Amino acid sequence: MSGISRRKVLIGAGAIAATAAAAPILAACQPAKTGGSGKVVVMTDPNEFNDDDRKTLEAATKLKIEVVASNLTTLYAMWAAGNPPDVFRVQAAGVPQYISRKMVKNLQPYFANSKLLKPDDLAPANNFYKWDGKTIGTGDLYGMVKDWSPDFTLYAYTKAFDDAGVKVPSDTTPLTYDELRDVAKKVNKKDAGKRVYWGFVHSNNDGWIDRTAMNMLAEKNQTLYSADFSKLVISGNPEATKVIRYLYDLAADGVNQTPIDPSPNWMGADFNEGQIALLQYGYWFSAMAESDKTKGKTVFLPAPTWAGVRRDPTMTATGWVISSQTKDADAAWAVFEQYMGGKPAQDRAKSGWGVPGLKSLYPQMPQESAFQKQVQKVLQGELGKSDFILQFNPYIGEETFATSWKKNLEPALKGSISFDKFVQNIESEVNTAIADGKRIIGG
Amino acid sequence: MAGATHVFPQAWPRSAAWRRRGFRRALTFYLLISPWLIGFVLLGAIPLAGAFVMSFTNYDGLNLDYLSFVGADNYTRALGDADAQYALGRTLLLMAFVVPVGLALQLALALMVNQKIQFSNFFRTIFYLPYVIPVVASVWIWKIFVDPTGGLLNALIGTVLPEANIRWLVEYPTAVLALLTVWAAAGGGMVVFLAGLQGIPAEYREAAMIDGASRTQVTRYITLPLLTPVIFFNLVTGIIVALQILVQPMLLSPGILGLNPGTVPPRDNYLYAVHAYIEIFTKQLFGYGSALLWVLFAVVLGLTVLLFKTSRRWVFYGVEP
Repeated sequence: MSGISRRKVLIGAGAIAATAAAAPILAACQPAKTGGSGKVVVMTDPNEFNDDDRKTLEAATKLKIEVVASNLTTLYAMWAAGNPPDVFRVQAAGVPQYISRKMVKNLQPYFANSKLLKPDDLAPANNFYKWDGKTIGTGDLYGMVKDWSPDFTLYAYTKAFDDAGVKVPSDTTPLTYDELRDVAKKVNKKDAGKRVYWGFVHSNNDGWIDRTAMNMLAEKNQTLYSADFSKLVISGNPEATKVIRYLYDLAADGVNQTPIDPSPNWMGADFNEGQIALLQYGYWFSAMAESDKTKGKTVFLPAPTWAGVRRDPTMTATGWVISSQTKDADAAWAVFEQYMGGKPAQDRAKSGWGVPGLKSLYPQMPQESAFQKQVQKVLQGELGKSDFILQFNPYIGEETFATSWKKNLEPALKGSISFDKFVQNIESEVNTAIADGKRIIGG
Repeated sequence: MAGATHVFPQAWPRSAAWRRRGFRRALTFYLLISPWLIGFVLLGAIPLAGAFVMSFTNYDGLNLDYLSFVGADNYTRALGDADAQYALGRTLLLMAFVVPVGLALQLALALMVNQKIQFSNFFRTIFYLPYVIPVVASVWIWKIFVDPTGGLLNALIGTVLPEANIRWLVEYPTAVLALLTVWAAAGGGMVVFLAGLQGIPAEYREAAMIDGASRTQVTRYITLPLLTPVIFFNLVTGIIVALQILVQPMLLSPGILGLNPGTVPPRDNYLYAVHAYIEIFTKQLFGYGSALLWVLFAVVLGLTVLLFKTSRRWVFYGVEP
C-alpha cells in the first residue's frame, strides 16, 4: 500500500468529483454539426426518412443532406450549443412554442412562390403551422405536415370482443366516450393477475393526454387554458374537470396502461400482440395494425364523441419546419419542398402511413386489401370532421402537461393523493411552467 | 559585485544546462498530460463555468434573444422546490443503501478472487463483466429479468409460489434500481480492491500467521487497516456516483426503453438528477436546471469534505504526505 498516499487519494477524488459533477452539464453541451451552403442538416425520424429519400432529395436539389435522428433532447442540446439543424421534425403541440420563441422561419414567401406546394392544395392539418402572432390556425405558414391522420379513431381487436361475448362497435355509428368506457370495461381482461386484454388504450400512453382532453373539451367550445394561455384551468372549469375525471377514471378502472399497470412495450406493439381490445390511434397505424396475430381480426372505427359534436382532427400534425438560424434558408427550403411535394411525398402517400399533406395526393392512399378498403371507408367519413385545430399553449413545451400528468397519476392511483390533489398538482406545476415561459418570452 | 562577476562565469554554464534540462522535462511533462488537460479545459472547466453563469440566467436553451440575468432567483427557487427536496431525499436513501452494500460486495468479491484458487481469472472476468456492459444493455437485462410475465425472477419464485406475479418495477422500483446499481458497479470496485489487496506485502500476513493469528484475525487486523485508503477512495467515488444517478431510473421506467423528455420514472425512483433533467429538457429551464446541479455539487462537496474530515480517524496511510 505504499503507493497510495493521502495526497494522491485527495487529488484523485477531487478530479473525479469535478468530472462527475460536470457530466450532466456536458451532456447538454455537446457540439453539433452545422448546416451551411451546399449542405443541409435535417433532424428527422430515420423511419420516416430512409436512405432512398435522402438520395432522391440529394439528386433533386444537388445538395448534400446530413440526417440527425430526431430526439427532443438532442434538438434542445443543439439549440443550446447555438447550432440547430437547418430543418427539423416537429409535432403540432410544439409549433406555437417554437414560433413564439422565434426558432422557426416564416415560410409564407416560399409557399407563395412554390410550384410544388400550392396553398389551395394544402390539407387542413397544415393549419397547425399557421400563426398570426397570437393563435394557431390563421396567418402565415411556418411549416408543413409530412402527412397526418384524423387521430381520434379507434382500432378494435375483434377476438377480444368475441372472448368477452361483446358485439364489436359499429364502424358507421360513432361511440360516445361513455359508451366507450362501458365497452372497455367489458372487454378488459386479466387472468390470474396476468394481463390478457387492456380494454381501451389511448393518448400514446398518456404522452398526448392533454391533446385528447383538449379535443373532448372543444366539443363544448371549451379549452384547458384561459383565453390568453396564462393559466391552466381545470378545477375552475366544471367541463374541464369532467373531462379530466373521465380520463382519470379510465386509468382507475384499469382499462388503460398506467404507471401502476404498465406495459414494457408501446401500445402499438401491444395491439399487434393481440393484447389491446380498443386502441386509439389515427389512420397512420392502419399500415401496421394487421400483424400475424391481428390480421383479419382488426376493424377501424370512427372517433368517439364527448358531447355529440364530432371532431376528429390530427393531434400530432407531424411535419417539418426550417430553423430561423439556418445559414442557408434557400437550400433548406429546396430540401423541404422536395420532401413535402416531390417523389418522397408520393411514396409516403402510397405507403398508407398517413393522409398526405397535399389533397391532390389523397387518391394515392392504398385501397387494395379488404382491411385497407374498410379503413378508407371510415377515413372518408372522418376527413370531413378533421378540419379543426387544437390551440396549444405557446408558453410551455409539448411534454409539460403530460409529464405532470404521469408524475401525479401514480400516487393518485395508489391512493397517496386524492383526485382533487391530483388536479391541483397538475395545475400548479403547469401554471408554474406557463409563468416561466411568459417571463422568458414576454406576453 | 566583483565577487559576483567572478563567480558568475563559473556558475552560468551549469545553470544553462540545468535550465535546458528542466525546460525539456517540463515540456515533456506538459506534452504528456496535454490530452487530458485540453480535454478537461474544453469539456470540463469551460462547460462548468458556462453552467455556473447560466445558473444566474433565465436561459431556456432555445433562444438567446430572451436571455436575461435573474440574480440568485434560481438558487432561491431550488432551495424551496418541494420536488427537488423529495428527489434529494430519495437519492440520499438510495445512496445509503447502494454505497455500503456495494462496498461490502466489492470487497467480498476482491477477497474471493484474491485467493489462489482454480479458475480465479475466470471468476475475475465474470465479476468484472457487468461493469463494462453499457448501461442501456444493463437496464435491458434487468427489465427482462424482473418482467412480471416472462421474467426469470418471477419464474424462480413461481417454482415455490406458483400464484406469485410480482410487478417488480411497479411495486419495488427502488429495490430493483438499487440492486441494478450495486450489480453494475461491483466489478469496477472489485478491481480497485484487488489492486489494494495485492499491494499489501505478504510478509505482514505471514508474520501474523506465524505469531498464531487466524485467517479472520489477519483480515481484521492486517488486511482491512491497510486497505482503508482503498475503502476510502471507493467510498468517496461511490457516493459521488450514487448522488448523480440519472440514466438507470429513466430507462427502468415503464414503456419503451429510452431517455426522452416525457419519460417519468416511478415516484419512488424520482431522483435528484431526474428532477434536474426534467426541469432542463422537458420544461426548458436550462438556467434553473443548472442551479439545481450546482446545488447538487454543493451537496457532493459537503459530503466529500465531511468524509475527508472523518478519514483522519479511520484511514491508515502507509506513507503520509
